[in-house]
Amino acid sequence: MTDGLLSAETAVRVSGTDPGEELLAAARGAASVPVERVGPTGATALDPLVLATDDGRTALYAGATAERAESVAAGLGGGSFPGDPDAAVDHGPGPTRLPAAGTGPLAVGVRRVLGGAGWVVPDSPADHETAGGFGADDADQAALLDAARSVPGRGWGDGATDDPVADLWETVRGAAGDAAVVVNAHGTPADRLLLASVPFVVLEGALAAARVVDASEAVVYCSAADAATAETVTAAAAAYPDPAVPLRVETGPDEYRAAEPTMALEALEGNHRLEARLRPPGPAAVGLDGRPTAVHTPRTLAQVVAALDGAPTRLVTVDGDVAAPATVELRTGATLADAVEAVDPEGTVKAACVGGEFGGLTADLDVPLSVEGLTGADLGTEGVVELLAEGRCSVAFAGERARFAEEENCGRCVPCREGTQQLTALLRELYEGRYRADALHELMGVMSSSSICAFGVDAPRPVRTAMAEFEREFEAHAAGRCPAGACDGLEMEAHT
Amino acid sequence: MSSHDEPTDVPPLTEEMAPGTATDPPVGGEAATVTVDGERVQVPAGSTLLDALEATGADEEVPALCHYGREGIGPRSECRTCMVETDAHGVVPSCSFPAEDGMTVNTAADAAETARSVNLDLVLSDHNLRCTTCGKNGRCELQDAAIDERVEEPRYGVLDDRDAYEPLDNTSEFIQIDRNKCILCNRCVEACNDVQVEGVLRVEGHGADTRIGFQSDAETMEDSTCVSCGHCATVCPTGSLIEKGIEDATTLPMPGFTHKNSVGTSVESSGEQENPMTQMKRREDGDTATDGGTDGSTDGSPFDDEETWPPDDRTDDTGGERP
Ligand code: SF4
Repeated sequence: MTDGLLSAETAVRVSGTDPGEELLAAARGAASVPVERVGPTGATALDPLVLATDDGRTALYAGATAERAESVAAGLGGGSFPGDPDAAVDHGPGPTRLPAAGTGPLAVGVRRVLGGAGWVVPDSPADHETAGGFGADDADQAALLDAARSVPGRGWGDGATDDPVADLWETVRGAAGDAAVVVNAHGTPADRLLLASVPFVVLEGALAAARVVDASEAVVYCSAADAATAETVTAAAAAYPDPAVPLRVETGPDEYRAAEPTMALEALEGNHRLEARLRPPGPAAVGLDGRPTAVHTPRTLAQVVAALDGAPTRLVTVDGDVAAPATVELRTGATLADAVEAVDPEGTVKAACVGGEFGGLTADLDVPLSVEGLTGADLGTEGVVELLAEGRCSVAFAGERARFAEEENCGRCVPCREGTQQLTALLRELYEGRYRADALHELMGVMSSSSICAFGVDAPRPVRTAMAEFEREFEAHAAGRCPAGACDGLEMEAHT
Repeated sequence: MSSHDEPTDVPPLTEEMAPGTATDPPVGGEAATVTVDGERVQVPAGSTLLDALEATGADEEVPALCHYGREGIGPRSECRTCMVETDAHGVVPSCSFPAEDGMTVNTAADAAETARSVNLDLVLSDHNLRCTTCGKNGRCELQDAAIDERVEEPRYGVLDDRDAYEPLDNTSEFIQIDRNKCILCNRCVEACNDVQVEGVLRVEGHGADTRIGFQSDAETMEDSTCVSCGHCATVCPTGSLIEKGIEDATTLPMPGFTHKNSVGTSVESSGEQENPMTQMKRREDGDTATDGGTDGSTDGSPFDDEETWPPDDRTDDTGGERP
């Protein structure tokens, strides 16, 4: 293995989702020290971020332009940091993870699975090894199962959403046939971040899963819209030293529903039209090409690796009415409010939609970010928190989500295909002066109890939680008034 | 004889079927003893809960509308009008849920009854309920279910907005398609692909645009690769696919009122069809005449083409954002 970037005492790192070739070229042209592209940190407010390391210290230059990168690279090595860095951190020799800044979004939470994000070269096995990686490759199956027992599956794209991963692995292992592992990276920002910045952590988890369930291959599934991510993980997979099973990377259509685990399998099998499969049995018994299949998100797999030596954490992306979204890593026990620390909300926060597209609305941010805490509050565990600023209308928000569900469902089952149309229609009635809460609850209950997949089960949640949290806004709309003023300009008919 | 694979213009003998549906896992469990509404019953391996319901007669309680249960067709389990409550797994679809040993099933549980009733009404909400001009009047499985369940006023109304109707496909000499009556049970697609192995029909689209179409990308039955075996019409539970000649068979005699004009628009044959039995006929450019002037499908959604919420065309406020 050749030396990685981590062994360089003096170096320039360029981080960001897409810092641009120009910036990288400018830094490279000016520097006499190594200049490397690293993955994003998750704090998009800082992108593109230039990190200059010298003499046991690292300086951070946020929102860097090509000119700034050039002058930083040219001036590095003179004992002090050129220009005017936004922050500088003393860390001594050879840190293997992003040195923690004292303030700003990078200071929020912990950086365990994200430790290497923005610091290691994503597809460098040398960096991953220097950072203490590949440990799972040597772990025995009992240790892996123990770790998997402490991690609930992360996200709706996971085959074991909110349930212990070890149970699913045992099902796969016990099912007849040649097993497979699918890494479902379709859809969620934190999953993309892991693959773009620390792909070896995820691949390590996938290979660990493959060993436990006795799979013959592991397939990484990305959205076709994430070409750069797919490229990074493809390079990492090719560079993985002696993988226990072959790794390959595939893409599926850029559609929300394509992240549903069985639709992911349909896409991987080459179906031109995606619809969910019946269950039970689920993919753990009959999955990819009929084989027992462990479908996991990158978040899940990274947490299994992390759980080999410590407690698992949670990755949360805060988005919505914010200056710039951020993905942060938080310990068990942290709350929504802790995650919101990582962003700069646009105005006063009125509510948060917690749990992705079909998350739940809450005005209370003092909710623990655990499966029990979130589901107890009827919020989603997807790991995406969308802030709604004062002035946003909860009825309009719920209506938009209902219509999204109406337009994006796969069309297979009646409660979802037809139910989402009626849900939208019932919400529209509010604007004609009718609020039929009982009819809404009846419909939403049936959608959740009888839809085939999580899409239809979860689709009513934004409406259900908006009705619970902002009932007066619903009543006001039926009376011809939008308290937030967002629906002004609409002729609303009051009850007669 | 050449030992090489010579390039050839001859199309492959078998084209892959692309029905557009998911590859479902096999349903059905091991041989089991199940208690249905208090009655214990033994079912052989491979049975679903619906098989157990049938064994006790409790299947009377569930419409199980999309269920066919013969010839290897289904379960599609799309209509969810077969929901029952189980001790072990809560409310589940009996037509596709494996009968597990020791399971207790309650068909009369409130949650299950509500689910069946709401889902049946949801099916009706998207169904052209002009029964009096339908050739299947009196032998329609949806009509039977609605009568059995004593549906008087479906919660969500019925599809009676003629502007939202998709034109009748009247192009084929053998089979007429009225998609406004389709409940998307998928029986026809399975009959066509899995039983007859013709590969003509498929499911296409998503959301409200989900519909039965043709694998050859043809727009009409006439232009499809249909071999007129009629199997799709045989399995159709409603009047959506119906053999020509009987499309008005059970229509109540009302002067001047036919199934065709009850829908309003239809696509008629181009007259250029040479041989209805020709297989692999691909889409031609033949004109299709329409009676009513509509040019294609609508999805029946009240918010077609709307980009914003609230759904109101009296404003162009971008919904949800501050004014
Ligand atoms: S719940 Fe919705 S997305 Fe899932 S199978 Fe049913 S129609 Fe498709």
